[in-house]
Amino acid sequence: MVVPVPDVVSPVVVSLYIPAIFTGLLVGLIGLMAIAYQKRDIHILILTDIVGYGMLVMVAAVGTDLAEALILPGLVVELAEILAISELLMSREMRKLDKTTETVELIPVPINLNMEILETAPVFFAIILVIYGAFLSGFTGGAVAGAGILFYVLSKVTRGVPQNIWEGLSATAGVIWCLWLIGFLIFFVAPDYWMLGLFLAAFGLFIEVAYKAGLIGVIGREEFKREKE
Amino acid sequence: MDITTLGGQLLGIIPLGDIVLYVTTFNLFMFAAALVFTVLIAMSKTEKQVEAEFGTLNDREKKVGKDEFKVRRFLSIICGLATAGAMITGDLFNFTLFVTLIGIVNIGIVSAVKEVDVLDSAFQYGIIAMLATLPLFGGAALILAATGTLSMFEIVNIPSTAMMIFGSILLFIGVAGESGVAPFFATKAEMFRTAGSPFLVIIHLSSLLVIVRAIEVILLISKPF
Repeated sequence: MVVPVPDVVSPVVVSLYIPAIFTGLLVGLIGLMAIAYQKRDIHILILTDIVGYGMLVMVAAVGTDLAEALILPGLVVELAEILAISELLMSREMRKLDKTTETVELIPVPINLNMEILETAPVFFAIILVIYGAFLSGFTGGAVAGAGILFYVLSKVTRGVPQNIWEGLSATAGVIWCLWLIGFLIFFVAPDYWMLGLFLAAFGLFIEVAYKAGLIGVIGREEFKREKE
Repeated sequence: MDITTLGGQLLGIIPLGDIVLYVTTFNLFMFAAALVFTVLIAMSKTEKQVEAEFGTLNDREKKVGKDEFKVRRFLSIICGLATAGAMITGDLFNFTLFVTLIGIVNIGIVSAVKEVDVLDSAFQYGIIAMLATLPLFGGAALILAATGTLSMFEIVNIPSTAMMIFGSILLFIGVAGESGVAPFFATKAEMFRTAGSPFLVIIHLSSLLVIVRAIEVILLISKPF
């Protein structure tokens, strides 16, 4: 059975589907060939990402709004796998060097930057970005507002950020995540209240993504506490 | 292939908007089996490997530290839940996502072991699992493009086309790579050779259950008989 494509879709877009599938498979094959030539583990790990791009091309080739919703989990899976494997690689190399007692810093935050602009600009920039992010809402807005909060944290590092703020922020992120889930559930359970669900999801996601910056603050806290002592 | 031919009695459907979950005897049994095993694993403690040393009276003991034990137990429970989810889900893309989650968690379970050889083979398995996402998601996307839906309850009623069969072959290659069966088993078998047995068993069990369910899914999509 041939699934009818709506008339509003231009025939050019429809004819692009088969070339896009071949492109995706070809990208994957090129990635596999590159992996076959490489002998160093770190290069292999980086090259597997190319195969992941091939996967994204194939999912994106479908071209509907559902495909757009499927790209995001695909991307997240790619990221999660590459993170897991790189952790594994690091732990293996540390075992080989027998440096198990030493810890490796995740983000080397304490940079000694004593510039005047870092005293004055952060508040202004953070407020502008957070307000603009709230206006955008959703995932994009969360990223924008998160960038604002992150900029504030990173530039205030030299003076020290109180740790309660960051623990509170990351706890709030967890609670807000539930809001997003409830909003998502409303779509399925009670579709009549879609407006409420949409706003719960949009602003839950906005606050959640923005506060994820708080987690980086929590990790960074250990660093600058040690630096100050 | 009908749902009832493969899965026994159709016990009911759970309509959630576009996604219609269906519950058959087969799905329900596999789901319950995965959950029971997860509960058993959540309550168990790890084994200790003790070997007698040759020529002396000493024993060589391999223990799992408390932190490592906690992380492993957590990841094993996640792996069990993901397996149970893959058994019961009626959505093709959710199935692929559960399968990849199992792959990631399998790497996580062995990521903190002390043996370099085991870490080496886990790295190789991880590379294969990452490469397998291309046929896995690609196959699901092809089936979505060919049928216009991801709900298996709907796909069953659509006669299979060449594109759907190609998609289901890709899907099977993806599941095989992700769960480490037939052509890709060599590295995965090496992953078990470390202490901490009951948590390592879930790696094995999840791939067994997933492959059974994957065959059901592929038969539902490609309808060869």
